[in-house]
Amino acid sequence: MEIELVEIRDFLAQRPPFDALPEEQLNQLPKSLEIRYLRRGSLFPPSDAMDSFIYILRSGAVELLDEEDNLVEKLGEGGVYTTDCQLIDFGRATHGIAAEDTLIYLLPCSLLKILRKAEPAFDRHFAESIRDRLKQAVRTLQDNGDNGAIAQMTVEVSDLLKKPPVTIDVTASIRQAATLMSEKNVSSVMLMDEGKLAGIITDRDLRKRCVAGDIPPHEPVSRIMTTNLETVQENTLAIQALMTMTRLHVHHLPVKRGDRVVGMLTATDLARHQTTNSAFLASDIRKVETVQELANVSERLPDLQFQLANSNASALHVGEAISSITDSLTIRLIEMAEAELGPPPVPYAWLCGGSQARREQTSHSDQDNALLISDEMKPDHAGYFEALAKRVCDGLNACGYIYCPGNAMASNPKWRQTLQIWRKYFNAWINKPEPMALMLSSIFFDLRPVYGNIEMFHELQTDILNKSRGNGIFTAYMAANALQHRPPLGFFRTFVLIHGGTHDDTFDIKHRGIVPITDIARVFALDQGLPPVNTTERLEAAAETSILSREMGENLVDALEFIASIRIYHQAEQIRKGLKPDNYPSPEALSDLERRHLKDAFRVIQEMQETLENRYQGGHFI
Amino acid sequence: MLNRFLSLDSLRKKALSKAAPGILHDYLETPLTSKTTQCDDLVIVSLDLETTGLDPEKDKILSFGLVEMRHMTIRLETARHQLISIDGEIPEESAVIHQITDDQAATGIPIEAAMPELLQRLAGKVMLVHYAAIEQNFISTACQKLFGAPFVIPTIDTLVLAQRLFEHRNHTVQPGDLRLFNLRPRYNLPNYKAHNALSDALATAELFLAMASDMVPRPSQCRLNRFLTR
Repeated sequence: MEIELVEIRDFLAQRPPFDALPEEQLNQLPKSLEIRYLRRGSLFPPSDAMDSFIYILRSGAVELLDEEDNLVEKLGEGGVYTTDCQLIDFGRATHGIAAEDTLIYLLPCSLLKILRKAEPAFDRHFAESIRDRLKQAVRTLQDNGDNGAIAQMTVEVSDLLKKPPVTIDVTASIRQAATLMSEKNVSSVMLMDEGKLAGIITDRDLRKRCVAGDIPPHEPVSRIMTTNLETVQENTLAIQALMTMTRLHVHHLPVKRGDRVVGMLTATDLARHQTTNSAFLASDIRKVETVQELANVSERLPDLQFQLANSNASALHVGEAISSITDSLTIRLIEMAEAELGPPPVPYAWLCGGSQARREQTSHSDQDNALLISDEMKPDHAGYFEALAKRVCDGLNACGYIYCPGNAMASNPKWRQTLQIWRKYFNAWINKPEPMALMLSSIFFDLRPVYGNIEMFHELQTDILNKSRGNGIFTAYMAANALQHRPPLGFFRTFVLIHGGTHDDTFDIKHRGIVPITDIARVFALDQGLPPVNTTERLEAAAETSILSREMGENLVDALEFIASIRIYHQAEQIRKGLKPDNYPSPEALSDLERRHLKDAFRVIQEMQETLENRYQGGHFI
Repeated sequence: MLNRFLSLDSLRKKALSKAAPGILHDYLETPLTSKTTQCDDLVIVSLDLETTGLDPEKDKILSFGLVEMRHMTIRLETARHQLISIDGEIPEESAVIHQITDDQAATGIPIEAAMPELLQRLAGKVMLVHYAAIEQNFISTACQKLFGAPFVIPTIDTLVLAQRLFEHRNHTVQPGDLRLFNLRPRYNLPNYKAHNALSDALATAELFLAMASDMVPRPSQCRLNRFLTR
């Protein structure tokens, strides 16, 4: 560098974010700058800018204004304006005015991008400011809810654990285990084999297998223990744990944090917290005997969503709670169908797709489902599964989950197939990605078993992920598909609104905000062969791989949470007014703060989409 | 006005006829920037020379610094600083000002090696200088000695512009008012500590941007002839 530009370098070196740059980068920086002078009162950034820059104030002052010309922020000497590089430092300001005669340094966005990529410490400055703002935004939204009535539905298992785990080595005798249980006043004990959970015994096991059975108490406890345990993670929702218990007919669930055992959840723990309508809803579903009764229970679902939205439930938890109820309804319908039709001739699994599979449902959405049938199926079994699928799909429709417009349902023979045929389907979709596959991708690349032979589903899923992992061409198609829905970034001045029809002056928050993130997460999951289906879990898993930085992963998770919260509050308001919930909030209904943060969230999506575009050269394939 | 421009162009043609084939001849063959050029289309080279004294016949050029402006935007990627070696010692009284020591000057290149780049960088462009007489006379003298003809270029002199502005506003000019580093604070421009050819060229460029936005607030009405001092 020309050593005489040292003065400019020194000026930058004292100021964030440039103070995070190493010396050699700092020395190069002045050469890349341009300098302009803005007379007091002139528009900032200059209207005739030839390129996109970040602006650094060398002297003078600039007032940053929002779209209604309200003063948002004043930049003085050393102030940095990054909005034109689509960063989020002053996301709420749309333009500015030079408040004094002002000398500005201009740094091209293209160079900023390179620097951010090359220097993690420098990049962190930008990532952190985005993250902090989104985190704060989510917190504010949740705090605005009714703090007095914390929804029971959002209680996590860890909230219910009152005691540390009671464990004993797997080599202990039955008598030793029984003594420990009465000492600790617990109804169960976990048996550990070299630090790992090997099984549990409960006082029921003691009664049935030892006292009433013929195994003497000096025998090792392993003789009466239950192995093959279902466990839950400590952050599982209590409502989901309850459903797991009901499904398995057990009263005890070991609770883990990762691989470590942290406690035991009992049916009694749950019963104490089962006092709200929402929890009653789940247990009511178990009790009903007819589709009509089920439909009546299901009518309470919007009320549940309203309650959740008005407590401090996060969008993630609302989605999980609603999806769990849908699962329960589906299972009850299948049980009723099986009761009527008799046991299935060969094993099968009922699969749900789309938002239910991702556990991101809100209120009643369309139903997406499929049947996965064992390869042992004979042609004369077809009638049984046809009847089963018809009953369940009709039942779901009666419960408010209307038939899928694209006919992606188990009642469609195409989506009621053996494992072998499903493998062929996915093989074709992955090896020859055609518009059909891409259209179906949001349904069938997000699949989750709800009932039946789960092992068979895992076989299929492993097969799918093995084929998609590292499959460049397929991923490129999926990436291009993920770029079709763009966030409305002209949010402030020229918000992209839907005109005409019933959604006048609204925007489609599902397709412009939520779908882009779920699409991106799906691309990552398939590219990396990650099993999670829930978008947040996919992003968290992807952030552990090289495909997604931790910062960007967290930003996307926060952006999704914020956008989904906006949708849930919008729908709660509609439910309160007795309207049918939809995905079209009006920008006018949003507070200034919400609009600001929504724009932040949209920018996170845009930034990610740009990265995807570059990485997969998306758009060239279709 | 027309008269002055014509005379500058005729000076160029006259010099061209004298210049031996080579660097200066090529330079003089390049048409001068038209004085009606829109400011946004101008390419201006802000230039500063450090010299051993004020007399172009006796004194020597020690360094040049320059930076280009396009679209009324300074482009630092064009910044250039060149030390020039001289025969003999640097007089102490000038070293105090430009702070170039004999040792530093020894790392420079001879004037005949420096002139080609300087002329190439200026060809077809407008020269911006604070107190143009020094630069004009030293470069012209060097051209005469090396190539046998004078140096001709449309020039903007911020000192002359400042003088006009003071007169226009009926301000009395105090001693020192027209110096580069006393003018800058009037336009809210920062203080530069360093004083060398490049930082002074940059300081002059910034001062000109400030003056121009003051003199012609509307960019669409901004033309070169509004600022030309020669």
